Amino acid sequence: MAAVAIQGLGHPRKRVEDARFIRGKGNYIDDMKLPGMLQVDIVRSPYAHAKIKAIRTDKALAVPGVLAVITGETLKQYNVHNMPTLMSDTQMVLPLDTVKYQFQEVAAVLGTDRYTAADGVAAVEVDYEPLPVVVDPFKALEPGAPKVRDDKESNHIWHWEWGDRAAADKAFDAAEVTVKENIYIPRIHVASIETCGCVAQWNATEGHLTLYMTTQAPHAIRTVVALITGHLGLSEEKIRIVSPDIGGGFGGKVPAYPGYVIAVALSIVTGAPVKWIEDRTENMAADSFGRDYHISAELAGKKDGTLTALRFKTIADHGYTDAAANPSKMPAGLFHIATGSYDFKNAFVEVDGVYTNKPPGGIAYRCSFRVTEAVHTIERMADLMAHEVGLDPADFRMKNFIKPEQFPYKSALGWEYDSGNYAGALQKAMDMVGYKELRKEQAEKRKRGEFMGIGISSFTEIVGAGPSKDFDILGLKMFDSCEIRVHPTGKAIARFGTKSQGQGHETTYAQILAEELGIPADHIKIEEGDTDTAPYGLGTYASRSTPTAGAAAAMAARKVRAKAKKIAAHLLEAAEEDLQWEQGKFFVKGSPDRAKTIQEIAFAAYTNHPQGMEAGLEAVSYYDPPNLTFPFGSYICVVDIDRGTGEVKVRRFVAVDDCGVRINPMIVEGQIHGGLAMGFAPALMEEISYDENGNIHGSNFTDYLLPTAVETPKWETGETVTPSPHHPIGAKGVGESATVGAPAAIANAVVDALWHLGVRHVDIPITPPKVWALLKEHGAALEE
Amino acid sequence: MQFAGTVTIDAPRAEVWKFLTDPHAVGRCAPGLESLEIVIPDKQFKAVAAVGFGSVSVKFSVDVEWVELDPPNRGKLKGRGSAPGSAVEGSSEMILRDLPNGSTDMDWSADVVVFGTIASLASRLMGSLTRRLTGDFFNCVKAKIEG
Repeated sequence: MAAVAIQGLGHPRKRVEDARFIRGKGNYIDDMKLPGMLQVDIVRSPYAHAKIKAIRTDKALAVPGVLAVITGETLKQYNVHNMPTLMSDTQMVLPLDTVKYQFQEVAAVLGTDRYTAADGVAAVEVDYEPLPVVVDPFKALEPGAPKVRDDKESNHIWHWEWGDRAAADKAFDAAEVTVKENIYIPRIHVASIETCGCVAQWNATEGHLTLYMTTQAPHAIRTVVALITGHLGLSEEKIRIVSPDIGGGFGGKVPAYPGYVIAVALSIVTGAPVKWIEDRTENMAADSFGRDYHISAELAGKKDGTLTALRFKTIADHGYTDAAANPSKMPAGLFHIATGSYDFKNAFVEVDGVYTNKPPGGIAYRCSFRVTEAVHTIERMADLMAHEVGLDPADFRMKNFIKPEQFPYKSALGWEYDSGNYAGALQKAMDMVGYKELRKEQAEKRKRGEFMGIGISSFTEIVGAGPSKDFDILGLKMFDSCEIRVHPTGKAIARFGTKSQGQGHETTYAQILAEELGIPADHIKIEEGDTDTAPYGLGTYASRSTPTAGAAAAMAARKVRAKAKKIAAHLLEAAEEDLQWEQGKFFVKGSPDRAKTIQEIAFAAYTNHPQGMEAGLEAVSYYDPPNLTFPFGSYICVVDIDRGTGEVKVRRFVAVDDCGVRINPMIVEGQIHGGLAMGFAPALMEEISYDENGNIHGSNFTDYLLPTAVETPKWETGETVTPSPHHPIGAKGVGESATVGAPAAIANAVVDALWHLGVRHVDIPITPPKVWALLKEHGAALEE
Repeated sequence: MQFAGTVTIDAPRAEVWKFLTDPHAVGRCAPGLESLEIVIPDKQFKAVAAVGFGSVSVKFSVDVEWVELDPPNRGKLKGRGSAPGSAVEGSSEMILRDLPNGSTDMDWSADVVVFGTIASLASRLMGSLTRRLTGDFFNCVKAKIEG
């Protein structure tokens, strides 16, 4: 039999999970059909703010197959009509008398199947008395504005600030040059192709709940369910959360939604399994959104282009409740990465959270807690300052970058950046794209009246939350875990506290273990998502799996190796200190023939272990990262603007990413391609907006435009490798870099193309009508 | 959404007024009308009508009230309706004027606000759809009165 390849770090191993995905054999929530399963569907409010005067259920109950209709009053009997958000705010599961945003849950109908339940929903009659609506957070802060929350003093949720305000103000007073811009990062939605849903299965005999659900954080959900249902006698050992295959999460599947609670309540009451699954509009209109930050940004510098200070003041629109999924102590997430890749001596950021009559949220849409907002702003502002002082944006960045020798670098906002070579990444991107030639071409085209722009984004991310001293969610520290069991035949199973939603954990975790243990990756089974079997962890989001659980994999493997060494010493009748490790075996130093493979050692662990030692070969690691990781990169985008239609055509897009050590270069490449598409989308296409009555615009894929293969440009990728010094295998995480970094490159390219007309900024999404209006305003539109 | 227009009807003002303030008469021209019930004569009526917005078809129950009636010059009504997941509110006004040739000019205006599913799913269609429906409606009214 041919030797099976180890396929460790750096190997472009094919994704093992794809064997089922590409055959249509994945197991998603909506694939689940349990015997006797019932379905719930939800009545939702057409109004963004209204009193509920009456809910009449008689016609719904008369629909054949409709079994029950429940309202907030029903849930109130069990005190589960409200639930806590991950930010310790309150969210209605079902309302008692008022709705606060359009498409809010009003009542739930249980039927024998999805169609019956939907017919029941259509037959529920609700009388509403509309109330004044506020959808603009600035108006919400004005005196006399309609109050969104009856239980709060005002629409102002919290104020958060970071940095030294006085020092920043002083630097601004002394500045030779300042630039200022108002930047809006619009509300968008993760729009995962699989919507949210669950199957709740209550076992009345054993008092046990199994909840199959689309969650990125199964353990945290189990603890939250135990906390909010403890008064009903449901305790944590009797709750099992199973997260099956997930069709995209992107942060949207971190929070708990009312539908989950409703399904659980109905399963407990009926004793039957109950499925809840959203349709597209429910998902888009009622689940947590991303972004919605209004940022007033200022930079200060010297005439030679040296940056000296930064001040960002932000209004964060959280909708009806703060249902973000940030670390508890950080209501604005990691927005204080706002100094980006630049060596600022002074910086101050402040954020005010505001309630409006919009759906709740503020989740990290494929980014590590508000990092996209920070990166987009600093990268837009860097371009503005570069133009202001008359420097090429590339030269300006090179001048202000944190230098390689400054790492570990302490930022003015308190982070310790682990490692970086920003100039190296930008230079590589410039070489790949042919930067000088492009600038020449741009100048020539401009003379001919053609608008071409070149945009740079040299982003620095902050991922891998996080060190337990600062990072928790509802008090749960943000470590993550890996448990390894090596079987007697030298094969292994490893379980994790994270949960893949497409990242390829089944492939890459096995590669880390293969590298550390010398067991071929194909001989290691990876499991996640079942809280009855997996070790506790905080889940997968914010690019944290590789920095935390990936590190736990290496650490647990090293514990296994330490025990394996003792067994090898026993088998080889040698002293432990005389043994040397080479991938897959221990041998006696100087006698490479006297060796025991990991497979032989594993067998001995169950058949011939040393007296006095416990049998078996297992280990578990709960990894508490000493710091976050700071992936970075430089993207260069080239656009052509159609003066007749306002369309922005991305002609080239070069992405150089540095995520430290690459576990599987093929998967990294795939993550970057997907991330770039999800950065391209909000830059040019995606936005959820509301009219003054709180009606959503963008609740379906006709109005909310996702890029398809037709719109998506060809990506050109490159890499540099700067390992993280504190991560066991030097990896940093890459799932979100491209989503974070791409929008600014595109926006900068558009403004670059129009700069000579006097255009200084354009908010994303940069749609053809928006560009057309700018061209018209500056007399540059081509009209027949 | 606000709409307005003028229709010339080849009939005397009193006849036009009588037709337009009779819900049953007008109902024959209302698109998708399924039922009509007079609650208080010349004051309140209820209607059920099915309207298709592109791929979305919704059945509205509407309560309508005359808030001003100045026969045969001016009338204003307000309505509020609901459908599963949607709601509509609006007001409409008509002013009748004699023309020298014995026919009547009607200036009409309407202010309609929609909420919920139809607002979010069909907002792009609403303008053109409403223009078509009102066009059909007034052509029908004109034809029925002019007989």
